[in-house]
Amino acid sequence: MTQTPIRLTVNGRIHDIAAARETPLLYVLRNDLALNGPKYGCGLGECGTCTVLIDGSAARSCVIPISGCVGRDIVTLEGLGTRDRPDPVQQAFIDEQASQCGYCLNGMIMTTKALLAINPRPTEQEALAALRYNLCRCGTHVEILRAVMRASGQLTEAAD
Amino acid sequence: MASPVSNGAERHSGSLIVVRTVDECTSETFVRITADGSVSAYNGHVDLGTGIRTALGQIVAEELDVSFARVVVVLGDTAVVPNQGATIASETIQITAVPLRKAAAQARHFLIARAAERLELPAAELSVEDGLVRGHNRSVSYGELIGGETISLELADDVDVKPVGDYAIVGQSVPRVDLPAKATGELTFVHDIRVPGMLHGRVVRPPYAGVDAGPFVGTSLIAVDESSVRDIPGLVAVVHIGDFVGLVAEREENAIRAAAQLEVSWKPTPTLPDLADVETALRANPSTPRTLIDKGDVNAAIAGAAKPIQRTYVWPYQMHASIGPSCAVADFQHGNIRVWSGTQNPHLLRSDLALLIERPESEIEVIRLEAAGCYGRNCADDVTADALLLSRAVGRPVRVQLSREQEHAWEPKGTAQLIDVNGGLNADGGVAGYDLATRYPSNAAPTLALLLTGRISPEPAVLQMGDRTAIPPYDYDHMRVVAHDMPPIVRASWFRGVSALPNTFAHESYIDELATEAGVDPIEYRLRYLKDQRAVDLVHAVAERAGWTPRPVRQDKDGEVVHGRGFAYALYVHSKFPGYGAAWSAWIADVAVNKTTGDVSVTRVVAGQDSGLMINPDGVRHQIQGNVIQSTSRALMEEVSFERGAVAAREWGAYPIIPFPDVPKIDVLMLPRPDQPPLGVGESASVPSAAAIANAIFDATGVRFREPPFTPERILRGLHGDAAAAPQALAAPAAAPPSRIWQNPFAKRSGIFATIAAVCTAAIGIGAALLPGRAIGPIARPDASVYSAATIARGQQLAALGNCAECHTTIGGVLNAGGRALETPFGTIYSTNITPDVETGIGAWSYPAFERAMRDGLHRDGRQLYPAFPYTHFSKTSDADLQALYAYLMAQPAVRATQPANTLAFPFNLRALLAGWNALFHQTREFKPDPAKSELWNRGAYLVEGLGHCSACHSPRNALGAEQREAYLAGGFAEGWEAPSLTSLSHAPIPWSKAELYTYLRTGQSRYHGVAAGPMAPIVRDLAALPDQDIRAMAVYLDSFNDTPTNGQTPDALAAKLESATQVTVAASTGARLYQGACAVCHEVGGLPLFGSRPSLALNSNLHSTTSDNLVQVILHGIAEPASGDLGYMPAFKNSMSDAQVEELVTFLRQQFAPDKPAWTGVKETIARVRSSIH
Repeated sequence: MTQTPIRLTVNGRIHDIAAARETPLLYVLRNDLALNGPKYGCGLGECGTCTVLIDGSAARSCVIPISGCVGRDIVTLEGLGTRDRPDPVQQAFIDEQASQCGYCLNGMIMTTKALLAINPRPTEQEALAALRYNLCRCGTHVEILRAVMRASGQLTEAAD
Repeated sequence: MASPVSNGAERHSGSLIVVRTVDECTSETFVRITADGSVSAYNGHVDLGTGIRTALGQIVAEELDVSFARVVVVLGDTAVVPNQGATIASETIQITAVPLRKAAAQARHFLIARAAERLELPAAELSVEDGLVRGHNRSVSYGELIGGETISLELADDVDVKPVGDYAIVGQSVPRVDLPAKATGELTFVHDIRVPGMLHGRVVRPPYAGVDAGPFVGTSLIAVDESSVRDIPGLVAVVHIGDFVGLVAEREENAIRAAAQLEVSWKPTPTLPDLADVETALRANPSTPRTLIDKGDVNAAIAGAAKPIQRTYVWPYQMHASIGPSCAVADFQHGNIRVWSGTQNPHLLRSDLALLIERPESEIEVIRLEAAGCYGRNCADDVTADALLLSRAVGRPVRVQLSREQEHAWEPKGTAQLIDVNGGLNADGGVAGYDLATRYPSNAAPTLALLLTGRISPEPAVLQMGDRTAIPPYDYDHMRVVAHDMPPIVRASWFRGVSALPNTFAHESYIDELATEAGVDPIEYRLRYLKDQRAVDLVHAVAERAGWTPRPVRQDKDGEVVHGRGFAYALYVHSKFPGYGAAWSAWIADVAVNKTTGDVSVTRVVAGQDSGLMINPDGVRHQIQGNVIQSTSRALMEEVSFERGAVAAREWGAYPIIPFPDVPKIDVLMLPRPDQPPLGVGESASVPSAAAIANAIFDATGVRFREPPFTPERILRGLHGDAAAAPQALAAPAAAPPSRIWQNPFAKRSGIFATIAAVCTAAIGIGAALLPGRAIGPIARPDASVYSAATIARGQQLAALGNCAECHTTIGGVLNAGGRALETPFGTIYSTNITPDVETGIGAWSYPAFERAMRDGLHRDGRQLYPAFPYTHFSKTSDADLQALYAYLMAQPAVRATQPANTLAFPFNLRALLAGWNALFHQTREFKPDPAKSELWNRGAYLVEGLGHCSACHSPRNALGAEQREAYLAGGFAEGWEAPSLTSLSHAPIPWSKAELYTYLRTGQSRYHGVAAGPMAPIVRDLAALPDQDIRAMAVYLDSFNDTPTNGQTPDALAAKLESATQVTVAASTGARLYQGACAVCHEVGGLPLFGSRPSLALNSNLHSTTSDNLVQVILHGIAEPASGDLGYMPAFKNSMSDAQVEELVTFLRQQFAPDKPAWTGVKETIARVRSSIH
């Protein structure tokens, strides 16, 4: 372990973190930077609740040490938007009521963000495949899928 | 509605409250209106993610005639909310909202009466809009009516609530108030609570995973070795009480590390009931029969049945499977104890905590914050008690987060259930009789810390909860239902639908079977016995919506994929027997069954529900959809696995839940019943699920399945019998055992030591010339300034090529200061200090001494160096390069460090024998280029054979640890990893090429082979110091050993072929499910790009090798230090998967991704060996 601070760029701001280099990014985001978006779900990269964007790609922050994040651009849910000024993906999830308990929501939104960055108008099949490894236990899948389609401009008004 | 910001009820100048007096000194507030017009509503239940907060706000706004936005709903803080028991049984809207609604109505009546007085108008002529009372162009607000007064109304029973026809807010769909904050990370979940001075705790659970009854519970701890975590920075305390073990650290990651590292010894757990066969285990569990109904003469009716039918239904153990493992914060201060918890039942938890720490309840405040959905009892209470014990121990606030593994293992399971139905048909096709016995081994799951610390007895309580919907909804003439109340076998408690879901699975499967036997359409048959009009209406509505075609006789279906449709109906009856009904629910499920793979897809569900008045119709719809999806998941794929009676599933691969692509299309039908009381909707739609799906599978296949989950294996067994479901044996013959010389040269060799001794002794004579081993005199430490910066830089590059630092540096230690333990088959050798420290390093070494060490393997003092130091390779290095290397080493900072003594077995501890070894195996010879080869090839050969010393790992070794010259680069073993063959003997499915060798050595990854891991990762990292041209030279040289024909296929074409042939489409084994849950997210071909690489398993050399070692290494230990951060990281699964699970996974991966290769042998032994190796 080293005590040399590790420099991270999170949501556009630079932070010097005094933690061991192997510390998973998730704990630094949550405990050092007080960011609540990324959540601990499994610690194994299986469930997706801890997802952040690293250099624009979806990244499971529970299995990535901070030493691997130096010089990279990290964006969390908080970096997308706020309650007053939500990002279009966040707004689409709110509009579609695409959450129940909300614990997986961070991962769903961040993964959608990463998907739309490389595929702005995914088909439903593509959206389902992209979210295949983000787990939701409340059974909000239907609303989440609609939110993805809405965020990609393919669903302009709620059905029913 | 305003979103909840503060739980404190702020006091303005005046207020109106509606309270219920509990006793002389306690009263509970339901509604508070303050002079500024704000409204707070207090409910004892909590929002488990279902949107209750929003619905309760609607109810209060409606009855008070204020805007929805004005109401703040306060839930779950024991200091301010009424005690209304646990949030279970879908009771909130149906039961606990009733006093709240009345309180709001009562406040409105009071305020209107006061307004009538103030405005001097009859109450009947007044109207209210958002708290403003109007009449005849005059108005007064609620706030003005309250003014500076403190008004307290005692909650009355006989309050007139609004007629439904007047509703403006209730019955309208309202967006959830919590979602904007949740979608932006602004909501504070219990996981997000931060208290000043807060520390981080972790617990270590006992080995009897998920078992909470028996004399060993709380009494199994032998010892905790605190010295095992002494090196953890910021460790504050290690706490153990009985079997409760926890620790506290300043930082969370250090608490995690400490929990993993803490050495705890436990007594062996006694033999536990075998849960591989749930039916037998439940029959053997002691029980007390409780007759719920006994109508007509059941025995006679069944005895007289024309066609007796006796069936058994088995429900598996399932998990609540909260996405977020439970978390809590506790702050223990004398007389003022606060906990922040995700509990379902703040008041009951407070009693448990008081009992645990022997303090009065009045000193404890439980503040409930939102948590991950729980669908019943998860570990939320357990972790709160854990946090309290740790906070008490350290006197500071402590946050405890359970690990995924702990939540999986210890959450009280949704219990297995066994239901026997005896009955049959009369000659006219009517139901002769119905005799049902249900076994439900579950209780309320006492808070774990109470058991672990011995505060309460580990004698399991028996709870009467097996009776939910145990009485069928059908009016059979002769009917008996008996609940066999029994204690839990493993820790179990209520889970969505509780016993009603399994009981309904039995009712609805059985009646479907009767209908088939009677030759009557299954819906029509049910309607003959269904007397409840609302149920009948619902069944008709759902049948119409789905376009149900009556089918008195099932039609056989052709084809590989067969389709079917099934119906089921249920009224979820909850609370203490006889209880009452929540919403009515009916399903029509469509399935597609692949008869070859056994895969079942639920393609569409029409879910109909009569929920009475719907407070928030959108909220009801979301609940129905959520129930449909979750219960489909439960029916198709969910089952807890056990090993030796303890819970084995500790991550999502071992306990899969439904992924997006498997979610059915859902058509929700909500019957409008605005005139009927509102009913709970949190669980009802789950209840018909499994039966509807089983009935659809029967329609598709003609086979009844009476035991969920309907996994491919189970379907295949049902369709084709046991033989078909047996794993396909691979025909290919077992390969010859791989050469494992370096790792274990003495395996199965008798008398080997004698042979070695003889060989060495003989060799001593031959090697005499090398023996003198004279010392070379010490020198003063050379002045590094005599070397040019360019020379030093070049030396640094050469040190990287030789990976000097890799062996000569301990993990986390000072560069090149030595001391790293190198495990060899001959014993442990500690690397030496090669910094220029005069006494402990090489500071006193002259260049000739250094050169002699590099070329002849002799220490400056004349001692033989062990060939773990690859001087046999280094001897090939040119003088110029050795001088540069010497310059670099001497220019480093000197570090004083001595290494431990080697621990070598006889005869290897006799250094003199090494002279013989050298005589046999070592040639001191500088590299000589081969004029017949290109310059690049020769450069590559120099780098690879010399300082690069690739063959030190990649060549097999003989019994004496020397490389086998005739098998140069043919593959070897090092540090527990296989170093694969770099020649044509490579097992890689796509032959290596110059380009791929270059890419691999340069980036640590080849698209066609995989990433560098284990000892190869640091080598690639070191090679980064070398120019591209040198890497290219190495690739050219190595490629010259590889002449595997490519059959004219491009690597891309071959890769595409291999990848498409090995796609995982059906998860039909434990191994396949582990792969899908744990591996596929990063390894599936074509998945969403994630940070890091996406190594393709179909092409991965390790999966095609003759040994499983490297695969087992990465699964157990992960890749924490890749060759480059760009490659991403792989987590270690050693603490999340059992040996048996890893074996299943490894076996599956081999079979799936290297189908042309024979199954690996000895996988179990490899796992045991790799798990126990130092890492």
